[in-house]
Amino acid sequence: MSKGPVDPHRVDEYVEAAVQRLLTEEGELAEQGITVTRREHTLVLSGEVESPRRRDEILRMVREQLPGVQLSVDIGVTRVHEPTEAEDLS
Amino acid sequence: MIRIAAVGDVHMDQDVIGRFRPALEHLPAHADVLLLAGDLTRHGTESEARCVATEFGGLPVPVITVLGNHDYHCDQVPEVVAVLEEAGITVLEGSSTVVDCGGERLGIAGVKGFGGGFAGRCASEFGEPEMKDFVRTTNGVADQLADALCTLDCDLRVALTHYAPVPETLAGEPLEIYPFLGSYLLGQAIDSAPTALAIHGHAHAGAERGRTPGGVRVRNVAHPVIKQAYSVFHLGNHHN
Repeated sequence: MSKGPVDPHRVDEYVEAAVQRLLTEEGELAEQGITVTRREHTLVLSGEVESPRRRDEILRMVREQLPGVQLSVDIGVTRVHEPTEAEDLS
Repeated sequence: MIRIAAVGDVHMDQDVIGRFRPALEHLPAHADVLLLAGDLTRHGTESEARCVATEFGGLPVPVITVLGNHDYHCDQVPEVVAVLEEAGITVLEGSSTVVDCGGERLGIAGVKGFGGGFAGRCASEFGEPEMKDFVRTTNGVADQLADALCTLDCDLRVALTHYAPVPETLAGEPLEIYPFLGSYLLGQAIDSAPTALAIHGHAHAGAERGRTPGGVRVRNVAHPVIKQAYSVFHLGNHHN
């Protein structure tokens, strides 16, 4: 996952950076819209994805790569409803 | 009045097919044209492009798109473009198209765009070859956008990009990554013509509304920003 010394049990800047790159570069994810933040000993993942399957895949991959890290997940699936109003730019 | 629907960053793959379709079925009731602001796919593969064609092809209004950085990832741009064009989707890159909207001619000029940053905080064409290539890329696409906008013969001009032309619509993104999200050179290109509206995507955590220094309204239609299937803008023709 990373070329540097990442301790998967400690939530520090290197773990934060490694997860950010994991979400973009590894496997099928290609997710650049997930925000990764550290809150005390927890890694918080937030943002929106296009399907529930992608959210599940993000969690699976992060847990697999960082089994000792406590996660807080706030990832939603972007809504696709019809617009109820237009913006008038006339 | 011309009615424009727009969305970007839909990142299609098999798992997203069908999600947009219910809202798209009613598109003619809302809009005369649909603009897609790039990042149509996850990795830019031909098979993902087929998912885009399934979801956004065969619609009763013209569909016009630019590609985004994700659509370049697997180096299959010609295949992706061919699949989209085959589905009736017009792909712009340094080019333009004119759509007749009830007698009014809507001109759309598009480029993917690129990064570099914004006035006073931007990359310069200086130093290592890699850095000079980076800035030259943005210079080149901005020039293409300006040419495409200026040579359009139409009643209303719209600029369509993936990368952002102004920093206002990036508000919410970390400041540190602004140079990877857009360039003021795109804004300058947009301001070089009497452009009525600029549409972009790319910045998932950005804001919806901004303006170029020349006063052109800018809208970030990245799907996670608009949080609906597409946004709709009504444009009058007094801008030109």
